[in-house]
Amino acid sequence: MKQLSIMVDLDRCIGCKTCIVACRNHYGLVDHEKSMPGTMSHYLRVESECTGSYPDLKEDYWVVMCQHCKKPPCIRACENGAITKDVQTGIVLIDKKKCVGAKKCIEKCPYDVIQFDAPGKFAHKCSMCYDRVIHGLEPVCVEVCLADALSFGEKEILLMQADAAGKKVVKKKSTQSILYVKS
Amino acid sequence: MHENKWIPTVCYQCKAECAILARVENGVVKEVKGNPLARGKMCVKGMAGITTLYSQERLKHPMKRVGERGEGKFVDIGWDEAMNIMEKKLRELIKRGEAHKFTYSMFPHSTTDPKWRFVNAVGGFISTGLPHCDSAKIMAHLHTFGCFPNHHIAPMYYTVPRGGIMILSGRHPFGCLDDACVPKHILDAKERGAKLIVIDPIFRTEAAKADWWIPIKPGGDAALFLGMASHMLKKGIHNKAFCDKWVREGDMEGLAAFLKDKTPEAMSKICEVPAKDIVKLAEMCAKAPSVSVDAFKSIMYGNAMDWGHAWSIFLVITGNLDNPGGQPMPEIAPMAAVAPAPPAPNLKELGYHRTGPNRDKFNHYNFILEPTWYAAQAVKEGNLKVFFASECNPALSEMGSGEWRKAMTMKDKKGNYLLELFVVTEILPSETMKWADLVLPDQTNFERWELLYMPWWYNFGHTAAVCQPVVKPIGESRHANRVMIDLGKRMFPEYFAFKDDVEYYDIELSGVGMSMQKVLDGGALWSPGTVGFRKYEDAGKFNTGSGKIELEWKMYKDIGQEWPSPELPLEFRRGADKYPFILVNFRTIFLNNTGAWSQNNAQLRDSVSGLDANPLLLNPIDAAKLGIASGDTVTVESSTGKVRIPVLFTEKIKPGCAGLIHGFGQTMGKVASRGKWVGDNELIADAGSHLDEQDLRGGEAHVSTRVRIVK
Repeated sequence: MKQLSIMVDLDRCIGCKTCIVACRNHYGLVDHEKSMPGTMSHYLRVESECTGSYPDLKEDYWVVMCQHCKKPPCIRACENGAITKDVQTGIVLIDKKKCVGAKKCIEKCPYDVIQFDAPGKFAHKCSMCYDRVIHGLEPVCVEVCLADALSFGEKEILLMQADAAGKKVVKKKSTQSILYVKS
Repeated sequence: MHENKWIPTVCYQCKAECAILARVENGVVKEVKGNPLARGKMCVKGMAGITTLYSQERLKHPMKRVGERGEGKFVDIGWDEAMNIMEKKLRELIKRGEAHKFTYSMFPHSTTDPKWRFVNAVGGFISTGLPHCDSAKIMAHLHTFGCFPNHHIAPMYYTVPRGGIMILSGRHPFGCLDDACVPKHILDAKERGAKLIVIDPIFRTEAAKADWWIPIKPGGDAALFLGMASHMLKKGIHNKAFCDKWVREGDMEGLAAFLKDKTPEAMSKICEVPAKDIVKLAEMCAKAPSVSVDAFKSIMYGNAMDWGHAWSIFLVITGNLDNPGGQPMPEIAPMAAVAPAPPAPNLKELGYHRTGPNRDKFNHYNFILEPTWYAAQAVKEGNLKVFFASECNPALSEMGSGEWRKAMTMKDKKGNYLLELFVVTEILPSETMKWADLVLPDQTNFERWELLYMPWWYNFGHTAAVCQPVVKPIGESRHANRVMIDLGKRMFPEYFAFKDDVEYYDIELSGVGMSMQKVLDGGALWSPGTVGFRKYEDAGKFNTGSGKIELEWKMYKDIGQEWPSPELPLEFRRGADKYPFILVNFRTIFLNNTGAWSQNNAQLRDSVSGLDANPLLLNPIDAAKLGIASGDTVTVESSTGKVRIPVLFTEKIKPGCAGLIHGFGQTMGKVASRGKWVGDNELIADAGSHLDEQDLRGGEAHVSTRVRIVK
């Protein structure tokens, strides 16, 4: 299996959203001059779940980005062949030039992570920073993570690292290529 | 300027001032990130700083008020006119012998901030939010063991050993008002076997990561720590060797006598932490190789000095002073003085500090700075005539916002404002500028020079960092430091003989054999790379009057404050029948409190990447009692204020408490004014007109507020 992955450590994620803004800055998703809250594209989002009742509570935070699915429904949905799963990296990529803005990928994405650029009429999303990782750099979110909750690498190696650190894969969340782990 | 490269500089989205890198492409800042030479982290506020820099709402020209104060009507003027207005009024004040009636509200970026120099040259006082947030901690530590900590000197979490204990008592360091590396350092310490204990009426991110969350009644921290201290002394599990060597003779006996009845059982009744948990925590701490304690919101209540005193005693009897994993005793970089320096006026004799009816009774206590929140009362009493404000938003941050607004608009019989001139420097529209006579466009950290070194920086207080401009300034904006240096050159040339801010910093850096260029060549950072531990051993003494640790505060004996009272703040002990809920206001990582530049930042007020709501948090148990449904808007009323606000039920707050994030309520700016969110200070009493017991027990802290909630 050739699959690059990001591993999210729920023991460390504090839901600070630093990665979201850093990613936006890197990809120029924000018109800093005019953008208003609620109108800006984002390739990541933070989710959390609090369980129990006062005073016995537990809460986890994690980030959700494109899961770079094993069999991506967005690829099947796109009639123009604008979406591919790169064979070398397993990264799911949208070719902006081929995209006609039909939004069918957005409808079919089970993770609700594909964005739509209305002025340019194209879909866009997390590319796991393909243009960076092929030159040996980490994805931006991994590099800037405030809590060092994210790691990047081949999925098999990340699984080995998680095991060595005594972390277990949260199977329910890790059904595709992004790994979620905790102690 | 620079082309498409990462340039080292410093963030100023909040007061932590983290060292960062900015990527500039064709004269435009595109990306930012933490500087890997300086711990390498930058938080969400910092990342969003580019939005602050380029917002179309940036203030670009000096403006003069044309309507009445509070209307927010201005016309553009030139810098010359603005400078003339300030110079004329200040010269008039000096001529009248009332220079001390000038204050500048700011957060100094170094102990020799040029704005502070200007204020001293005039003969006025700087005023800050620092006394409120930190004075009790600072004064307690100074009185007890002679060190000057601050909330930006959290315990150095990277020094916490395996098995060490990190206690956060009403403190939210994942909120990054410290260096952005703090969350990582805490999590790293946990991974190497340290324990994180969170004592808090609210379950927040820190509690979610804690080994133990201990919900406490707000204001109960002093009782909890005295209960632990009592148990330790009774069982003889305190650090006897440390106390024998370093505590002033007789103080341990005095402490034992004082603590005799402060048993875990007795203290449990005050703080509502079970006695068995107080015992368990005390025994954990006694066995641990280190214990650090940090508090912030808990030390803003009306018993803050007592809590600071109890905390200091706890650190001493566990031997956790200036040791790895304990309480740091920071030093400051030995910068050279820029001579001649203007002398500071006598704060105790001339300051407007301590307004209100029992001002004389509190003469025992003197802090080193004026607190911003006595300004309103000082204006009313004629003790404040000229007010400058930079990088602060007193219209929202001053407790008792209504009284502040009133003071700004009060006039004498002739129809002149009591406050004769109010000048605000700002980056983006702020609530405070609505009341200003002059609004001066300030620069972001991407456009200005600054030398930063502060004793209260997280763990590297004796380090210096250079903030350098990475792009051309927007509009006619000028950094407030340069404005004050220029005004200083016009009014006091003898104290401002240096060429400009860069030369001023050059002179200072010569003290450590550096210059601005040398520091820039070295990555814009300078540090000896050491912190140093147990420095009192090298000195053979602590920096107190006796040279020993002074547990008993003898100077407060006549007001009965030689030992810390475990009682809750007066405001929490009375009025429960009429105002059954305790207001718990807190902060988040997403906003720099009332700071206009973060409240008006679209990314920070976006629900995906920031925070766009501030409902009142209530435990469902309380909501059921009140008959309130989720989504209802309720009236929240204190003895001095009333607001309407949507309510949100959550298990994450102690029953009996009502939670509200500090910093909302701005009506200026397209981004900040969205939503019906309110400022917590609408409910909190004005410090100047509501002095009570808290002034004797609480230092400068005045947040303690009870409220009632009506559907």
